[in-house]
Amino acid sequence: MPPGALGLLILRVLRSGALHGYAIAQRIHVLSSEALRVEEGALYPTLQKILLKGWATAEWGISETNRKVRFYRLTSAGRRQLEVGLSEYERLHEAIQAVLRTA
Amino acid sequence: MKEFFRRLQYLAHRRRFDQQLAEDMQFHREMSARDSTPNFGNMLKLREDAREVWGWVWMDRLLQDLHYGFRVLRGSPGFTVSAMLVLAIGIGVNITAFSLFNLIALKPLPVRDPESIVRLQRRSPDMITAQMPWPSVVFYKAHSNTLRAVMATMGASPMELESDMQPVTVNFVTANYFSELGTMAPVGRILMPEREDRADAPPVAVISYGLWQRRFGGDPSVIGKLIHLNKKPATIIGVTPLTFASLDGQYSDVWLPLAEQPYFVEGSRTLADPSNGSVRMWGRLARGVTAKTAEQELLSLTNELRKLHPDLVWNHEYIRIDAGGHLKVMQSEMYQVAAMVEALVLLILTAACANLGGLMVARGVTREREIGIRLAIGASRARIFRQLFTESLLLAMVGSTAGVGLSWAVLQTALAAIDAPAWISAAPDWRVLLVALGVGFVAAALFGLAPALQIARQRQQKTIARQVLTGAQLAVSCILLIAAGLLVRAVHQVLYADPGFGYEQVLGVNPELETHGYTAAAAQTYLSKLTSRVRVIPGVESVALSKMPLLKRGLTSYMTVEIGGRSVNAYPNWVDPQFFRTMSIRIQRGRTFLAGEKNAVIVSESFARRQWASADPLGKPLWRDGTSKDAIVGVARNARVKAMNDGDAVEVYWPAQPDDMQAMTLLVKTAGAPDELAPRLKSIAEGLDSKLFPSVWLLKSGFHETASDLEKLAMLVTLLGFVAVAMAGIGISGLVAYTVSQQTKEFAIRLALGAKQVQVLATVLRQFRWPLIAGLLAGSGIAAGLSATLRKTLYGVSNLDPITYTSAITVLLLVAGVAAFIPARRVLRVNISKALRCQ
Repeated sequence: MPPGALGLLILRVLRSGALHGYAIAQRIHVLSSEALRVEEGALYPTLQKILLKGWATAEWGISETNRKVRFYRLTSAGRRQLEVGLSEYERLHEAIQAVLRTA
Repeated sequence: MKEFFRRLQYLAHRRRFDQQLAEDMQFHREMSARDSTPNFGNMLKLREDAREVWGWVWMDRLLQDLHYGFRVLRGSPGFTVSAMLVLAIGIGVNITAFSLFNLIALKPLPVRDPESIVRLQRRSPDMITAQMPWPSVVFYKAHSNTLRAVMATMGASPMELESDMQPVTVNFVTANYFSELGTMAPVGRILMPEREDRADAPPVAVISYGLWQRRFGGDPSVIGKLIHLNKKPATIIGVTPLTFASLDGQYSDVWLPLAEQPYFVEGSRTLADPSNGSVRMWGRLARGVTAKTAEQELLSLTNELRKLHPDLVWNHEYIRIDAGGHLKVMQSEMYQVAAMVEALVLLILTAACANLGGLMVARGVTREREIGIRLAIGASRARIFRQLFTESLLLAMVGSTAGVGLSWAVLQTALAAIDAPAWISAAPDWRVLLVALGVGFVAAALFGLAPALQIARQRQQKTIARQVLTGAQLAVSCILLIAAGLLVRAVHQVLYADPGFGYEQVLGVNPELETHGYTAAAAQTYLSKLTSRVRVIPGVESVALSKMPLLKRGLTSYMTVEIGGRSVNAYPNWVDPQFFRTMSIRIQRGRTFLAGEKNAVIVSESFARRQWASADPLGKPLWRDGTSKDAIVGVARNARVKAMNDGDAVEVYWPAQPDDMQAMTLLVKTAGAPDELAPRLKSIAEGLDSKLFPSVWLLKSGFHETASDLEKLAMLVTLLGFVAVAMAGIGISGLVAYTVSQQTKEFAIRLALGAKQVQVLATVLRQFRWPLIAGLLAGSGIAAGLSATLRKTLYGVSNLDPITYTSAITVLLLVAGVAAFIPARRVLRVNISKALRCQ
């Protein structure tokens, strides 16, 4: 996965609602048709960074297994960051595509 | 910015956040175990990676390192104590030097608005003086817009208070002096511009806190009391506070209004005479005005002044402005001295650090096992390096703290010894603390970086690095020891060698005719009366006149002249024919002056030798002022009365002319001890004119004062030299101890194969032969180069004095030998079988 992509994916899956850490990893895994697997070693540092930047907040909730656990919720700053990240990604993607098509 | 605050929050609630993170990850584990995609891997390590995002890991590690370092240092108290001792001295010396500089030049005076206070000085490309004519000061004050206040001070000879034995010191100041400085009188009032700025104001005096306590027992009713200063009545109006801070360190027992100077010094025309430079000028810059702007304005005023007094203003004269709100107004020469002292103390710090660096490298060996284990269980080399350097920093900071304490103690003692003004405190301020911190870091970098790198890389320590360290250290010690030796020898010369003049049985009398407004003719009459009265006193051998007061504290004038391609200080004097006999200065060639002689000159022996080498100087012309031509009539023996410690100084004597008479002082040589004669001379001189207050002094006390100043300087440098030598000793023994411990096995094999103990001992010591030789050679070489700057303080000793150099080298050789031999003896006690089995 290219650097910064994981952060973008996390922000994207959080857009539809608050999730706990494991659910974020699962959602990415499922949505990518099981192509992407997010390891703890990458997930939690990235989540810490998102919290620190103020793109998401953490709040206590109850998991499907009835356990008290932290849910991550996107903030408005996070939404803006997602827009920025997406458009940057689009640009990059198109540029790469353009090169790949014509070269 | 918000992000930064969040970071701070993470710092503040680290434990809670960490707990939450742990729970998150624990939950993750549980879930993935349930979904049968179990995760492995070190939870602790994963958590640490996530925590790193918070940005506080460095602090955790620092704390860890500090904690560990603390334990390590406590674990080897011998090393720690000697390292701290070496550092405390090395750093302490630096901090003391800076504190002193801070006290003198950086700390603002505790007066009102010290930043805007400036000292004004007359300058031209070849003249400098801080003494200005009062009329010029009045002129500048009246016309300057860039100065919002002008103050002036004038020193004066000590005066008699009532009929006390001990005269009191006196300063004349403008009436606004105290109010400008924001001084509050604890009793009575200070001088006030609206009252005491007139010559005809009722005579008043402000006395110092010290005099108030000492002489009047701190009695508040002293206000309004009539006292007599040199028999002139004046009313005490107030007392300066105990913590009074005066400009440029001028203090006195009594402060008198400058405007009333003609009253207190009867007959004086000093204030009225535009050619008489006698007051020091101070000012306050107007708000928003820089020194540069003020200098420009004053330059145009100086040019105006030239129109009024064409011959009194010098060519290209300008007024120079210096910051005045510190203990001393710094001059460029003083900065030179400060730079020299700084170089000296930095040398000591370097020696201390080289020393400690050696010990650290040596210690690396004993810690090889520990570091090996840490590397084996996964510590990175960077981490090990950081850990080792943190230890050095810890040591350096403890050393710095001890250094601050040491410097405080030294300053406190020194301030008490010189009876410093009460407001000066030895307590370190923020500047000193900042410098202490900085010096600590520099020291840690100097002694800690290289060894830490080496140890972290687990390189076999290179012998060469160690040898360079030893050599550098010896070189530094050598320089310091030679400098100390030269100064001590110089003092010895001054004290015990024949100075070329007699001072034991000579008294000086200064009637200060000029300050009392004598004309040349009146002065001539007075002096001939005085001379004839003194000459007939039984026990008086001879009486002479000298324009320069000899061996008395006060202004010294000299000219810097170029002789034989070298600039030397020439000390002029204007004397009468009896001068040489009275001062016991032998005339080597030619003769003394004849009565009433003109255009003649006598030069000192070294002057003649430098200027004319072996040629006969008699009759040769000597130019003066480019106008008059004087012929040399005699060559006198060197007599550096005015510059006892300047081995390069030369003397030039001219016959005193009638115009010089107001400034003349009397020299009286007695057959026996002169001490008894002093009061008698004073009463004779006073008896001839009751408005005079002549000062009488013994030349021998002046001589001893000068010598003791030199002695103090030499003692200080000697102390520094000994510190350096002691540190070199510690360093060398540490290195030798290390070598021995590293090569124990080799020695054991040699001994087992039948080598004699002495031979093995020689092998150890031989390793230090080259650094020793190189260090001593480099040190002597550098000392020879640097000591040229000391020439002016070295009396009668060449800066290449072989005795000093040999003895410094011998002392160092001895110290190095003993320092190396003590740990090397361990070789002799090597238990062969044990040493061989061990590795």
